[in-house]
Amino acid sequence: MAMLKELAAELIGMFFAEKRLTLEVLALVAVTGLLVDFVGLDALVGGVILLFGSLGLLIASVCQAARPRPS
Amino acid sequence: MGSWLAVAPAVTAAFLASIVEAVEAFTIVLAAATLRGWPPAALGTTAGLALLAAIVLLLGPLLDRVPIHLLQLAIGILLLLFGLGWLRRASLRAAGIIPLHDEDAIFASEAADLAEQANRQRRSLGWAAGITALKAVLLEGVEVVFIVIAVGAGPASGRSLPARWCSLPELSSTGRCRASRRILSNLASASCCRLSECFGPGKGLGIAWPGQDLALLLFAALFLGAGLIGSGFARKLAAVEFA
Repeated sequence: MAMLKELAAELIGMFFAEKRLTLEVLALVAVTGLLVDFVGLDALVGGVILLFGSLGLLIASVCQAARPRPS
Repeated sequence: MGSWLAVAPAVTAAFLASIVEAVEAFTIVLAAATLRGWPPAALGTTAGLALLAAIVLLLGPLLDRVPIHLLQLAIGILLLLFGLGWLRRASLRAAGIIPLHDEDAIFASEAADLAEQANRQRRSLGWAAGITALKAVLLEGVEVVFIVIAVGAGPASGRSLPARWCSLPELSSTGRCRASRRILSNLASASCCRLSECFGPGKGLGIAWPGQDLALLLFAALFLGAGLIGSGFARKLAAVEFA
């Protein structure tokens, strides 16, 4: 049982290792989906939001990891 | 002949992904075997392969029951998370924030963990080695399954050749082999892997890019650029810390 838990944790860690980045990306995809499906935003504009949103989140996450922690 | 040419990139990508993951699993199995000998490591490896085959046989047919657009969306999101994680690590490695992937260090660490685990849990070293080999094979095997599903269901298996070929660098070097330890190669491969991932959720959301698969080339440049910019910022932030 302990091994199964450990395996599950490692599998989840494959995709959700960085919690903050994961939540931000999921929020971005959800917002894009809502805008395209329910607000009627052009799908291509939604794609651009998704693309540049991902780029921005990536850079922000890298900077966040490199920022000195207050001691 | 034509059909073989068309499927060759997807087949090659899946093959290379399997090799990369197999190297990771083999490093751990080798550590277990070095510490305790081959019988427990081989037994753990065989059990892991059997368990993996059973999982694939049991769960594989269930994929057919999931609506294709939901599958594309779910796999696209997972790939986006997976790829962003890779690119983030590559940028941090390029900036010197985290160390480069080192198979030798992993080997040493696994061997030390194994010995410590056997002592702590009062298990025989053979049992611990077998379990470690089983876990490594099962875990890396599941990663291969995910990647193969992604290559098969994702945009990289799409119609045109550029998209298929663009997915190859992702799978051929993910920062694990010696050649890809070089920072730029690491960044480039991670950036290339972003090509298909960005298309993933987009496809599930019904987004059609102008130029279709050729847009992947633009994505490659954009994500490579983002990786380099992030790395540059990270290097500056780290320099401020040490100043």
